[in-house]
Amino acid sequence: MIIQRPSIFIYTHQADPAVLKEVCAGVEEEGVFYDTVEFPDECMEKLAYKAARDSMLGSGIGIFGTAVCLKMRGLEKGRNIESYLAPSRIQCRNIGANSARAIKKLPFKEDYGI
Amino acid sequence: MSYIAGVDIGNSTTEVCVGEVTGNGNLTFLTSASCPTTGTKGTIENVYSVKNALKLAMSRIGRETSDIDLVRLNEAAPVIGDTAMETLTETVITDSSMIGHNPSTPAGAGQAVGEILLIGNISRGVPGTPYILAASAEHSYEEVAAVVNQYGSGSGQHDGIDIVGIILQADEAVLVENRIHKKVPIIDEVRRIDRLPDGVPAAIEVALPGQTVRMLSNPYGIATLLGLNAEETRTVTPIAKSLIGKRSAVVLKTPGGNIHENILPAGEIYFHGDRNITINLDEGADKIMAAAADAGDIRDISGQPDTNVGNMLSRIRTGMSELDKSAEADIRITDILAVDTLAPVLISGALAGETCLEKAVGIAAMVKTQKLPMQEIADRLKTELNTEVKVAGVEAVMASLGALTTPGTKLPLAILDMGGGSTDAAVISDDGHVTMTHQAGAGELVSMLIQTELGLSDRHIAEQIKKYPLAKVESLFHMRMENGQMTFVDESIDPRFFGRVVLLTESGLIRIEEEIPMEKIVQVRREAKRKVFVTNAFRALRKVAPEHNLRNISTVVLVGGSAEDFEIPEMLMEAFTDYRIVCGRGNIRGSEGPRNAVATGLVLSYVGEQQ
Repeated sequence: MIIQRPSIFIYTHQADPAVLKEVCAGVEEEGVFYDTVEFPDECMEKLAYKAARDSMLGSGIGIFGTAVCLKMRGLEKGRNIESYLAPSRIQCRNIGANSARAIKKLPFKEDYGI
Repeated sequence: MSYIAGVDIGNSTTEVCVGEVTGNGNLTFLTSASCPTTGTKGTIENVYSVKNALKLAMSRIGRETSDIDLVRLNEAAPVIGDTAMETLTETVITDSSMIGHNPSTPAGAGQAVGEILLIGNISRGVPGTPYILAASAEHSYEEVAAVVNQYGSGSGQHDGIDIVGIILQADEAVLVENRIHKKVPIIDEVRRIDRLPDGVPAAIEVALPGQTVRMLSNPYGIATLLGLNAEETRTVTPIAKSLIGKRSAVVLKTPGGNIHENILPAGEIYFHGDRNITINLDEGADKIMAAAADAGDIRDISGQPDTNVGNMLSRIRTGMSELDKSAEADIRITDILAVDTLAPVLISGALAGETCLEKAVGIAAMVKTQKLPMQEIADRLKTELNTEVKVAGVEAVMASLGALTTPGTKLPLAILDMGGGSTDAAVISDDGHVTMTHQAGAGELVSMLIQTELGLSDRHIAEQIKKYPLAKVESLFHMRMENGQMTFVDESIDPRFFGRVVLLTESGLIRIEEEIPMEKIVQVRREAKRKVFVTNAFRALRKVAPEHNLRNISTVVLVGGSAEDFEIPEMLMEAFTDYRIVCGRGNIRGSEGPRNAVATGLVLSYVGEQQ
């Protein structure tokens, strides 16, 4: 039997390493597991949609280049929780944190830095 | 046939009602409207809101204000309500000496004592001394972890320094913890980390998951950790008090620092009535209200000069003096309602915006002037609208007339008019004789109590909390109402509301910015309403009841803006069940709900006068 630990899925395609690192740090700080998978799809929204669909927790992030998108399972097409084409460091960190907060049912962090 | 308009100018709302009277005295009500009062009740600024409300009402039947033949204004009682709040205690910390807050994700658990060591001064550290490392947001989590692993004693070097705890400015506690070899308590999200002095002994504590700090919220715990003597322990008590309920805390031992818990000179209130009574404000609301009752018919109320209450009452008085341009001595405070409350006040000298619950008293005062310049308003309206304007009828009588249009009522009848600024009561006997009273304290005092007790930044959101029920958005597709019921929606809720407490208004959701649990908001809201309206309803009705006995009243009709509230009428109904009183929200003309009683009464009285 394969037991999967519950985790947030991050589907990437040619992801910018700096963006990916900050997104992962955001999830880690909230204490939730995550898995990154390289996926041949050139749309951040599609990546996020599939990640959310496949994640046991129903929360997924798609990264294509620098573009990041956060989705939750069940959310209609075209409605993202958060998405940026060229996010700042804080925005990357927050998107990671928010993917975890979505599961913990905590209010989302907004862009106030610290 | 002619159009008659009744206009009621209230403390917070102006209401109008338009009726058509035929030659043989038949009356048909056509339309009504209400809008917020401009300026203080009884001033010339009111003209704008009156004109607005009339326009709104007439547009509903496709007509112009110029079609109105007669406007009847209420002879507003020359009483105006105002509110003020004063804290009785304050905590002052000179030399910042503590941090207590609830970061969402601290790391590690337990407590530690050590000397504060800024990360830039790491080379200063010597082996053998315990240190608490402090790092600003400029240092990334990787840098901090690397420094701890390199210099810390866990690194395998036998001359490593002993790091027992870490304080971070950025939200990175878990990230650092996952990268260091030795497990220590880590506190993050400390905004004013630049105020931490280097080289000062400090105690740090992170609570276990699901718990709150134990050692640092206990004066003896602080004494144990920092080695304080009895006198020093006494001075840290306010710190311990303000750390109760926190998930993480730091207490610094600053030798020169000082903490005070001041009791502010609250001052005395003087009642000038049948008996002159003096009472100190810090005796609490119950004693003050008992004193007010003992004083009998109150001519004026004043406060001890140069004290909190003195300033508070004179502020209310000067605020009202612009209303009546005659000498200030003509303005008298004839009633007050005092309510005990707790207000979270920012501690001066705190590092992360900590607050302390301080004792406070909220006061609503009823200010009486000789007479409101209603005639001036009428004259101005007459020139601006080009119609006949008449000041007619005493407010309470008109309200009673209007209330009688509620289906299922008959004389004798008591009305309780709960507005924004005052709670008025009137009893009409079988022969039409009216007894009335005006009491301080109504909707605005409730808003003020909600605002202070919840520590809200503005009054507007407190008003909204008063008016609308709450819900918590638990997922993007459902929310839990304050009564436990679940509501599901077809289309996903805006992520801005996710996980937050929201107000359910007619025009969608309003989110509450402060992170306060829904149960707490509900409790504060209910308590504020009960403290003000139930207390006042009994006070007011007892005053007007025959022989001052509530059992001599059989029916009470609730009218006014606050009677529209979703829970106040029920609270009063419950409170009155013991007295076998029929009590309920009025329904003016069977259609208007509890509003528009005075305006309706004004139109009705016109027909009466014609006959």
